Amino acid sequence: MAEQLTFDLPARAATGRGDFFVSPANAVAVATVEAWRDWPLGRLALTGPAGAGKTHLAHVWAAQAGARIVAARALAAADGAALAAAPVAVEDADRIAMDDAAERALFHLVNRMGETRQPLLLTGTEAPARWGIALPDLASRLEAMPVAAIGGPDDALLAAVLVKQFSDRQIAVAPDVIRYLVDRMPRSFAAARQVVDRLDRAALREGRAITRRLAARLLDNGDAEGE
Amino acid sequence: MMEDCWGRAKAELRKAVGENNFAHWIEPLDFKGVDEGVARFGVPTTFMGDWVSRNFGDSILQHLNASGAPAGRLAFAVAPRAAVAAPTTARERAEPVRAASDDQDLPGAPLDPRFTFDSFVVGKPNELAHAAARRVGEGGEVTFNPLFLYGGVGLGKTHLMHAIAHELQARQPHLRVVYLSAEQFMYRFIQALRERQMMDFKQLFRSVDVLMVDDVQFIAGKESTQEEFFHTFNALVDQNKQIIISADRAPGEIKELEERIKSRLQCGLVVDLHPTDYELRLGILQQKVQQYRRQYPDLVIADGVLEFLAHRISNNVRVLEGALMRLFAFASLVGREITMDLAQDCLADILRASDRKVTIEEIQRKVSEHYNIRLSDILGPKRVRTIARPRQVAMYLAKQLTSRSLPEIGRRFGGRDHTTVMHGVRRIEELKTIDNQIAEDVELLRRALEA
Repeated sequence: MAEQLTFDLPARAATGRGDFFVSPANAVAVATVEAWRDWPLGRLALTGPAGAGKTHLAHVWAAQAGARIVAARALAAADGAALAAAPVAVEDADRIAMDDAAERALFHLVNRMGETRQPLLLTGTEAPARWGIALPDLASRLEAMPVAAIGGPDDALLAAVLVKQFSDRQIAVAPDVIRYLVDRMPRSFAAARQVVDRLDRAALREGRAITRRLAARLLDNGDAEGE
Repeated sequence: MMEDCWGRAKAELRKAVGENNFAHWIEPLDFKGVDEGVARFGVPTTFMGDWVSRNFGDSILQHLNASGAPAGRLAFAVAPRAAVAAPTTARERAEPVRAASDDQDLPGAPLDPRFTFDSFVVGKPNELAHAAARRVGEGGEVTFNPLFLYGGVGLGKTHLMHAIAHELQARQPHLRVVYLSAEQFMYRFIQALRERQMMDFKQLFRSVDVLMVDDVQFIAGKESTQEEFFHTFNALVDQNKQIIISADRAPGEIKELEERIKSRLQCGLVVDLHPTDYELRLGILQQKVQQYRRQYPDLVIADGVLEFLAHRISNNVRVLEGALMRLFAFASLVGREITMDLAQDCLADILRASDRKVTIEEIQRKVSEHYNIRLSDILGPKRVRTIARPRQVAMYLAKQLTSRSLPEIGRRFGGRDHTTVMHGVRRIEELKTIDNQIAEDVELLRRALEA
């Protein structure tokens, strides 16, 4: 019999504040973002590894502050003056390092928002000092920004991330499966995303539910053991 | 009538809250009047309203009442595009001319109220630039035109320019002082071209008394903008109007800048801001701490932290000030004293080139050194407390500091089961809360490994 084909349809992620799980690993970052009226100079860099919830938190903040969300790469083509009139969240700002046009656009946006006194949130994997920004005036402004860092996940957060990833895919998973995974999988947000993705595919392919046994087989295949 | 009350209250508030606070927080308030005991103000941002209400609310009420406006409560609403401490005469014409541009009768950018001569810390590396800026700020006879300030990033060029503008405006309120970045000059120029309003553009820029253009290197390579800048420049110099320019390097060293502009820029006074020395940096930090004391009165900063920052962050004043600001914001959020340890944690991204990825092997080595036991014992089967406890500490750190799975950690500890790792981790978590020695050991090791 032919194997069931699976399609890589992107799951729609829930991005409300109520869907955001706070644990000791991200509590300070969440508190800092939520205290946005007190950001020094009205700026904040939100950092953390892939899958840590930066985008989610940026959406939560955008809803609270009435902010626009822009991808850093789209900045060069955006109307900076219009953007600067209201709060802005710039996503993946670390990915424009060495892209001269985008760096300049971000530089002018930072300055303009300093003038309009609108809050600006930037997200990136690491702190701005490590982004490798080429434009010295931009680099120094970014390095001077306060940083809210989400660290690696603790057990509670790892479990919450798994549950959320499953539920974004409309999959209900028994608590013992989550517990089983948390105790055995690599302890990173990226790994959580991978594990859920692979379990989802395997379950779909084989037409069965996600159980501890399936999880065990998958983890024993060893390849979930990334860095 | 009510306006007069507010005027009198403002005069009193200026004395009560100090010049700096007044310029920053009170001056930009847009008084709308008092009705039914509520004094209403327009503010540029909700943050500003919250801040003013929290910090100056009582003073404002007191002085309003004393000046004859009976108010029991303040209300702040965000006003569309209220200019913040606008340097220009823009206030009289508040109607937005074109959307999304700060098009009022003068084309400048708002001044930062924090950038005054009072808040500029003078030291050997910047004393010449400061003296020149002071001289220009006094106004009167134009002695050097243009004043050209240059220096590396974050050494205070923009601060000095804003300070000159504040000073001139305070001494001669009728002066049309325009401060803008070279990028904004270009933006306006292009906009004027597109909307066929070049005559307006020319008239506007040629009618100012003082023109300040920040970061002029940004028009390098932009030919038509340079051309227009050149003409504006000449027209103003001919009328004996003061021009102040800044750049990141000396005029002669700006690439893709026309020769005739270079030579024009050099014909006034060219002064540079040198990189800061340790004493100047420490002075800057001390001055900033005084400012933050007002904002965060309860925060304690341990001895040696400022010296440490002045020593370690040497390249850039903006980053240095930013570092201190980050420390205060973080310490106030978590409610802790600013110690060396807190500084090192909070500013790791600036103080260290990269976060090293800690490996399980390093953890095992460090832990065995710390407890003075052999590495082979940590990996081996011995179960005596003097070996087992350090092993559990190492497992705990491996879980905290690496992203390895628990089965993987177990394998690296001599082929142990992941349940053994879980047990060890739990044990250390418990002990940390009741045994100070363990808690200290773990903290010390974590720092050593992450350093």
